[in-house]
Formats: sequence, C-alpha cells, structure tokens
Amino acid sequence: MKIRPDVLRTYQSVHTWTGITTSLLLFIAFFAGALTMFKPQIEQWASPSNLAATPVSEQRIDQLISQVTQEQDKAREGFNIDFSEDGAALSWFVQGGGRGLRLNDKLAFANLDNDKQLVVQQAPSNELGNLIDQLHRTAGIIGKVGHEDLGVLILGVAAALYFIALISGVIILLPTLVKQLFALRQHKGANRLWLDSHNLVGVVSLPFHLLIAWTAVVFAFHDPMYDGLSVVYGDKPLFEPRARGTITYNLDQLPSMAEYQKQLTALAPDHRIDKFEFSGLNTPNPSLAAYLSANDRMQRGGYFDIIYLHPFTQEVAYSTVTSSEQDAYAPIVNSFFSLHFGNYAGNYGRWMYFTMGLLGAFLFYSGNLLWLEKRREKHNEQRKATKIMAALTIGVCLGSMLGIAIAMLASKWLYFFDVQLNQGYMWSYYATFALAIGYSFYRGAARSAIHLLYMLTLVCLAIPATSLITFIIASAPNWSSTEPGNLMVEVIAMVFAFVFWRAANKAKSRAYFGERNSIWAINLPQNKGLEPAIAGSTS
Amino acid sequence: MAQLLPQDKIQPHWWRKTFIGIFMGLLLSYGIIALFAWFGPDGLTTNTKVQFNMWMISAIWLPILSLCYLFKTARSAFICLLMANGCVYLLFASLWWLQ
Repeated sequence: MKIRPDVLRTYQSVHTWTGITTSLLLFIAFFAGALTMFKPQIEQWASPSNLAATPVSEQRIDQLISQVTQEQDKAREGFNIDFSEDGAALSWFVQGGGRGLRLNDKLAFANLDNDKQLVVQQAPSNELGNLIDQLHRTAGIIGKVGHEDLGVLILGVAAALYFIALISGVIILLPTLVKQLFALRQHKGANRLWLDSHNLVGVVSLPFHLLIAWTAVVFAFHDPMYDGLSVVYGDKPLFEPRARGTITYNLDQLPSMAEYQKQLTALAPDHRIDKFEFSGLNTPNPSLAAYLSANDRMQRGGYFDIIYLHPFTQEVAYSTVTSSEQDAYAPIVNSFFSLHFGNYAGNYGRWMYFTMGLLGAFLFYSGNLLWLEKRREKHNEQRKATKIMAALTIGVCLGSMLGIAIAMLASKWLYFFDVQLNQGYMWSYYATFALAIGYSFYRGAARSAIHLLYMLTLVCLAIPATSLITFIIASAPNWSSTEPGNLMVEVIAMVFAFVFWRAANKAKSRAYFGERNSIWAINLPQNKGLEPAIAGSTS
Repeated sequence: MAQLLPQDKIQPHWWRKTFIGIFMGLLLSYGIIALFAWFGPDGLTTNTKVQFNMWMISAIWLPILSLCYLFKTARSAFICLLMANGCVYLLFASLWWLQ
C-alpha cells in the first residue's frame, strides 16, 4: 500500500514521541498485568493454608455464624464466607476491611472444636496478589488525587498516548506490511531482528492492544466522562439514586446461607458461588456482596460477577449477571470489562492473555531499544540522552520484574520473622526497584543489563528452592506446596529463570563481541587497542 | 508518486493539532453521543445505556485524536473539526426543536 512520504514522516514522529514517553510505564503495567491473570493462584500460593479459615460443612456454617456474631463485636458488623469444594469458611476483619490495597488488615477466623467451643485465630491478610494488581493499575506510582490513585490517572494518559502510538505504528508500517510482516531477518543485524519482531508482535496482537488501551483510558477517566455526560443528559439523572434504608435488623433475622444459595442459583444458574461478603450488618444499610464466577461467560469483575443483596430482605440491589430481562446494552458493556480482564475463556483464555501481556511488555522494551539504536553515534561516544534512556530502560524494566520476583521470594521467608508481612512486600519491591535503577545509572546500561538479568535468574530459581525448603522444614507454615496451582507458580518461576539466563548470555556476548560502537558494548581496557579495527573506523 | 511541493506537505504544528484533537475531538465525541443518547434507540433510559454511552465517548475520541495529525495544517484541523462539531450540534438542536 502506498502512503505519502510526508504522512509517513509525520506519523513516524508521532509514534516515536508517544512511544518513548509511555513505554516504561506501560512495561510495568503489562508485566504486572500478565501476572494478575493468575492473581487468585498467586494469592493461594503465598497464603499458608493453616493460617486461613478451615472450611466446615454447609450445615454447620450457620451455627458457626451465630456463635461468632454473638461473641465477636467486629463480626457483628460484617464477615466473609468463602465457598470451596470442602465446604464454607468463615472469616472477618478485626482490622481494616473494604476495597483496594490495604497493608495492615488483619483477618480473624473461627472454627468449632470437638466440644463445640469457639476457637478464634488471627492472621494478617496476604496482599501479594493485590500488590501486583496495584502495580498493574498504577505502575507503582504512589499518591492519590481525590479518591482516585494518581498512578491510575497517569496510566490513563499513557494509555491514550499508547492508542495513538498503535494507530501511528500501523500507519508507518502499511507500505511494507504485506511484504515484510513475517520476515524475521536474522542475518541483517540485531537491529533489524528487533524491528521485525517489534512489528510482528504489534500487528498480530493489535486488536488486543487497541482494546486494552481504550479500556484503560475508560477505567482511569470514567468519573470525568460521566460528569461530562451529565451535562448531555441535562435534568435527567444518570443513575437512579439508591434508596437509603431506615430499619436496623437484628442478626437473628439473618437467613441461612442455604437460602441465599438457593436464591442466587436461581438468579445465575450458570455461575458457581465463590464468596459472600456481609457488611454494615448493624446499620440501616446492610449489604451482602455475592461473588459468582463462570468460566465460559463474560464477567464484569476480574474473576467474578457480583450480585448485591439486602441481606435481610434478600432484595437484589445490583447485579452484573446479564439476563434476558435486561436491555441490550448490558451484555455489550459487560464485554468491554471482560475483554480487558480476559476472564471469558477459563484458564485457556488466561494463558492467552498472560502471553499477550508479556508480548506487550516485549513490545515496549523492544520499542525503546529501537529508539536507542536509531540515535546511536556511529563513531563518537554516545550522547547523554541516549545513555540516560538506556539506563532508565534497563533499570525500570528489569528493576520492576526483579522487584516482583524479590517480593515473591521474600513472601515465604517473611512468615518466619516477626515483621509486618505486607509492609515487607512493599519494601521488597520498592527497594529493589530503586536499587536497580540506581545500579543501572551507576554501572551503565550495558553492564547492569547483564548483572540484573543474572540476578533475575537467581531470584526466579530461589522461589521454587524456597518452597522446597519450607516444605521440608517441619515447623514452617503449611503452604500446600504440592497443590497443582501452587506447583504451577514454581514451574513458571523456573521458565522465567531460563528465559532470563538466556537473555543474560545473549546480552553478554553482545557486550563483548557485538558492534563496538553500541550503547550495549563493554570496552575492556585491553580491548581498547582493538576497538578501532573492529569498528572499522579511525576515530 | 509525484514529488510533493513543500506547501502541499503536512506541516507539523504538533502542539496546536494535539490541542485541537483533544478538545474539539472530545466535543465532537460528546456531540455524537448526545445524539445517540437522546434520539438513538431506547432514548434516554437511565440504566446500562448510560454506561454504554460513557464507554463510547472515548471510542470515538481516541481515533479522532490519533488521526488529526493527518490534517495539513493546524488551521485546517481546526476548521474541519469546527464544521463537524457544527453539523452534529446543529442536528441535535433541530431534532430537539422537532421533538
């Protein structure tokens, strides 16, 4: 396809600027986003099963609830029931509770012993999964604007720029698209191969990327968008105001869990009930949030649909389960959410999204490398801007991955020491991230890339090694290390270790044997004399 | 392809085109959504259609923003988007008046 050269030049600039300003943020968001596909599995892997509520039979759960709510003040406000194949498990927050990432939450859980006496235990809630999720949504940027995270808003702007980068990337590719899409030219130098793979990944996952960019913009800016829409709607309210309750019910009047289950099964016959969250039970506005999941349906939440009920009257306040009674727009809107979350095709779909998320991270990393290559000085020392960008690319990309890996490695060890678990995760991540960036500026991109990649290899190998050690230590908390889902986390850590090891070796050979006048070359003192000969120049 | 004369080539005008794309593009998106919300199927129902409308604003806006660098000058971008906005809001006003 023929495109006017001035159009190509214009969009080449657009692509470069939108790309280089957002790539590092998007790298973190995509890498963490790929991991969040398996957030429940990572949470399960990190949480010791002996520090969680033990499931009891569904006949006994009502008895347990009534006993706990009589004796425990906090449980009278609200509690959670988790359903699994083994039955139902009761827990409640003695500290914290609510949505979002909270580091100091403490969960309590109870069981009845053989004499029907209540045994109450406490444990901090494990936020490793939420931490990765937060990283995905904010790229690790801390701070709030109103009730929204600053990082979410910044990523929203980045996502809009990323949308423009995608469109411009396609435009500049159009003239050569048909001829060269599947051409991965290895003999034309590393740069050509990077460009070819950047283009191939970008084009084949274009629908995914367009969709992620658009939905991320909406997730960040839905509030101002609704504000604008309310002008369009004039006097008509956008949403029907929720009726406020006036009656405070007595906990004795709470229906049995079986009654809710019956009602919910009728409302959502294809879904499995995962969790009940009761809140505000001692107020005039109590609420039951029922989390339901179905592997083969588009769901509104990341891992679930949700139905809000009045716990005492069982009146449905809000439901994300689409039904034939709703208007035609509900399933369409649901699909927007679901297409971002990748929850519509079970684990197969999650692996697809996991892969595409990692490929997305690769897209931004390779884009930066191409930017750097383009600005390479053929004969002189590299420019300062190029050096800074190279160090940032290595520090931020490898540093964020290393931060997550270190937090996962620290996870099990933190349980052995008397430290705040979730603070420990935060420190592990941010300290590693900052050190990696510092190291990368201190030693330069070429050296730190090799060192950080070897470090990543080691840490990824240490994750399964830790699990093996804790499995052997008898006094260690029980992490159910042999569960298939938990084993999968170890296997993936080893796969990552292998990939990082290969990448480290490649980076090393590029540094010592690649082009001499590259930002990635390491020039040893004894090589100095050879350098001009290799580079074929006399500078 | 014939060689383009310098005055026929796209002028960069980065900042002006970007601002025009952001603000006038957003205005145009709201205009199109306003037409759809009031006079599209199901009218002004206040349930999931309002969510759909909110989603669609950016779905229209982002492509406009991406493609507004195709305008030769910032001036032509401004005039074109002004005319598009004019048409949409005029249509809205006349449908309102007919209602």
